[in-house]
Amino acid sequence: MKRRVVLVDDHDLFRAGVRSELGDAVEIVGEAGSVAEAVPLIRELDPDVVLLDVHLPDGGGHAVIAQVAPERPGVRFLALSVSDAAEDVIDVIRAGARGYVTKSISGADLIDAVKRTADGDAVFSPRLAGFVLDAFRTGVAPVDPELDVLTTREREVLQLIARGYRYKEIAARLHLSVKTVETHVSAVLRKLQLSNRHELTRWAAERRLI
Amino acid sequence: MSSTPYRLPLALPRLRRAEGEGALAGVCAGIAKSLRVDPTLVRLTFAMLAFAGGAGIAAYGGAWLALAPESGPTPSPRRRLLGFVALAIAVAIALRGFGFSDSLIWPAALCGAGILLARGHSGARLVVGLSLAAVGVIVFVDQNATSNGRDAAFESSAVAIALLLVLGPWAWRLAAERDSERTARIRSQERSEMAARVHDSVLQTLALVQREAGDPRRVAALARRQERELRSWLYPDPRADDAGLASAMDTAAAEVEELHGVPVELVRTGDVPLDDRVEALVLAAREAMANAAKHSGADEVSAFVDVGDDEIAIYVRDRGRGFDPEAVPAGAHGIAESIRGRMSRAGGTATLTSSADGTEVELRLRRQS
Repeated sequence: MKRRVVLVDDHDLFRAGVRSELGDAVEIVGEAGSVAEAVPLIRELDPDVVLLDVHLPDGGGHAVIAQVAPERPGVRFLALSVSDAAEDVIDVIRAGARGYVTKSISGADLIDAVKRTADGDAVFSPRLAGFVLDAFRTGVAPVDPELDVLTTREREVLQLIARGYRYKEIAARLHLSVKTVETHVSAVLRKLQLSNRHELTRWAAERRLI
Repeated sequence: MSSTPYRLPLALPRLRRAEGEGALAGVCAGIAKSLRVDPTLVRLTFAMLAFAGGAGIAAYGGAWLALAPESGPTPSPRRRLLGFVALAIAVAIALRGFGFSDSLIWPAALCGAGILLARGHSGARLVVGLSLAAVGVIVFVDQNATSNGRDAAFESSAVAIALLLVLGPWAWRLAAERDSERTARIRSQERSEMAARVHDSVLQTLALVQREAGDPRRVAALARRQERELRSWLYPDPRADDAGLASAMDTAAAEVEELHGVPVELVRTGDVPLDDRVEALVLAAREAMANAAKHSGADEVSAFVDVGDDEIAIYVRDRGRGFDPEAVPAGAHGIAESIRGRMSRAGGTATLTSSADGTEVELRLRRQS
């Protein structure tokens, strides 16, 4: 079964590029260029995966997630951006995106990333791994010491991702199964998102979303 | 376009209070200092004015309230307002002392208050201020008409209105001109800076891209370098210090990309200031990246800079063909000297692992506390 994908990016040219790179591997059911367009579209189409630009003219990608995620828990978000600013990327991840890839990603890797996002796995590019390591170390994320500190294993996995290793290579190197590596990465993602839970709840409450 | 800033031809020196230098509150000493005259002269003026119905005393008090001390905070708006009121009273008393009638003083006070109010930038203040001034003119005309006869009144009001009509627009235009000139100058500076930047970077790259159109790897590397440069200009990384490891690695990675046409995916966490040892680390990492780009045949090199609490680690990895480190001829300068030698002299280590799946160079350096 083909994954149903919605593409949210304010550059037509870039959307056309992604469309042609994804080709027949997935089914692109809709496109939007702004937060205001994206939210009703995603609610209506209920896709498997939303490819989401970090920067949109009327707000960040995190605004789309915050408005859609509470009522469409089955929709998974993958951030796709040229943005280098760590805070912006971390914002989208904390809002609930399953991963972040840069726009220079190859077509085959992007297809793979979409599939893994649809399956509920976390998609960490080397750059995102670096951002997350930084966030946990410098306290960009308000860290709840009980919950939010990375374990040694999780840190090792993140460092290997940052070094450019794929999940399979990490598994071989740490003598783990690929599934275990995925579990570690998902745990990191969860910690990052939980560290922001209260903030997110407040944000949603202010806008009468919940 | 000339870039000399426009200045008003007449600018009063800023009056300040010289606290501790005068006999009382330093008002006379401060005014004398600002106007560059002898303080005794100022004191005499105030003393003489004090005999004019007490105007000098009121003026002194007002100046004490309104003037900012030479060092220390400026007075609160309330205090300043009080000061100005006292000064206005002093002026009124003085004018009466000189024999001016109330019919001149009150309209003048109204006009003065109106003009002061109208100096604010908000529209409401302008309207209120101008109305006050107008009321002042009307009162003046009205009172003089009853006391001195109609002819004199018309004459003086005509003069006042003519002055207002001539000077008002002139002052207005002067201020507007100064503002628009300033805005235009800033805008043109911004534009020429932007033009210079675009010319030096984007246009040069586009020209190169056209020339190298047959070589997709080279074109990709050029585009990447340009993207990186433009992005660092548009969104500067507030965490990266110009003289730090992070920005040095950015530069090194960009240079390798440019020289060898292979993209370097650089990921980094943390930053440390550069010193001789850290510089050696950067140079070794640069050599490792260059080797990977030159010899591995991979289409991408990954580099990860991890600044830990007590150690800096840099990993340079490629998915190229790999090689046997033992089989490298002894004369090969790159690995032996530029990487291993450099790292050991800096007190660090270099580890090289290579297989058919690619090569990774691991550089480690303890941080000095």
